[in-house]
Amino acid sequence: MDDLDDLFARAKAAPVQPSDALMARVLADALREQPKAVVVRPVRGGLWAGLADVFGGGGVLAGMGSVAALGMLVGFVQPAALTSVSDLWAGDTLASVDMMPGIDALLAEE
Amino acid sequence: MSRDSIADLADEALLVLYANGDADAARLLAKRLVPRLLGYATRLLSDRAEAEDVAQEAMLRLWKMAPNWRQDEAKVSTWAYRVASNLCTDRLRARVRRRSDALDDVAEPADGAASAVAVMMQADRMAALDTALAALPQRQREAVVLRHIEGLSNPEIAEILQIGVEAVESLTARGKRALSAALSGQRAALGYEDAET
Repeated sequence: MDDLDDLFARAKAAPVQPSDALMARVLADALREQPKAVVVRPVRGGLWAGLADVFGGGGVLAGMGSVAALGMLVGFVQPAALTSVSDLWAGDTLASVDMMPGIDALLAEE
Repeated sequence: MSRDSIADLADEALLVLYANGDADAARLLAKRLVPRLLGYATRLLSDRAEAEDVAQEAMLRLWKMAPNWRQDEAKVSTWAYRVASNLCTDRLRARVRRRSDALDDVAEPADGAASAVAVMMQADRMAALDTALAALPQRQREAVVLRHIEGLSNPEIAEILQIGVEAVESLTARGKRALSAALSGQRAALGYEDAET
């Protein structure tokens, strides 16, 4: 029906115009919902909090500190070689074994 | 970015600019989309105030979705039409519920054909078209308005209505036939017979 196509063409040529009030409401919504710029904030809580964040939390940092302290202790007391004990299996006799010969010096200092 | 330099950008690029804090992009996008959504909703609902609410709500959902917009997902206009279409459907269903709840024993409103006759007596072609459109089943009305007034392609309409392209073709064909039938016999009132003779 050509008449119908003519009506469609007229409707298309005369779009519905939004009121100024509607456009104002839509823009107010847009500005209210617009994402805010991302702000990078400095790490709060000082050096230790920042360090704990770097390592994944305070618990992880405490564990790493404990292991480091144990490593220093083992290095200081210089444990004896395990061959002193393993030789027992070969039939040797042994009166005593001092596994940590440096521990006496460490305790004496305290 | 200046307003002039963004005027030629596609809707999708404007939406990304809006999400990055560009207020001019929001104004331009609203200027492009609101008239289309308002026209579509007005023809579906036959109620200007309700259509304005639908257009505003569809735009609001667009603003909220902007930060998560995926460029490869769909056209912004298609997405907005789909939201508006769903909002209109909700309102039309609510009308039916209200009518059936409150007016069971009241006479039905005059049907579209009778209203169309009254409107055509005023030789108001647009009003006659809108009245005839209002008498169509909802899905036919949506498809006909999107195809023949909003000027969208069948694949776009299929995406908006979430049906197949063949279903769109069927809806628009049946809708046009129904409109032709509703408007036939009123050609003189619409001033078309004079044009042919």
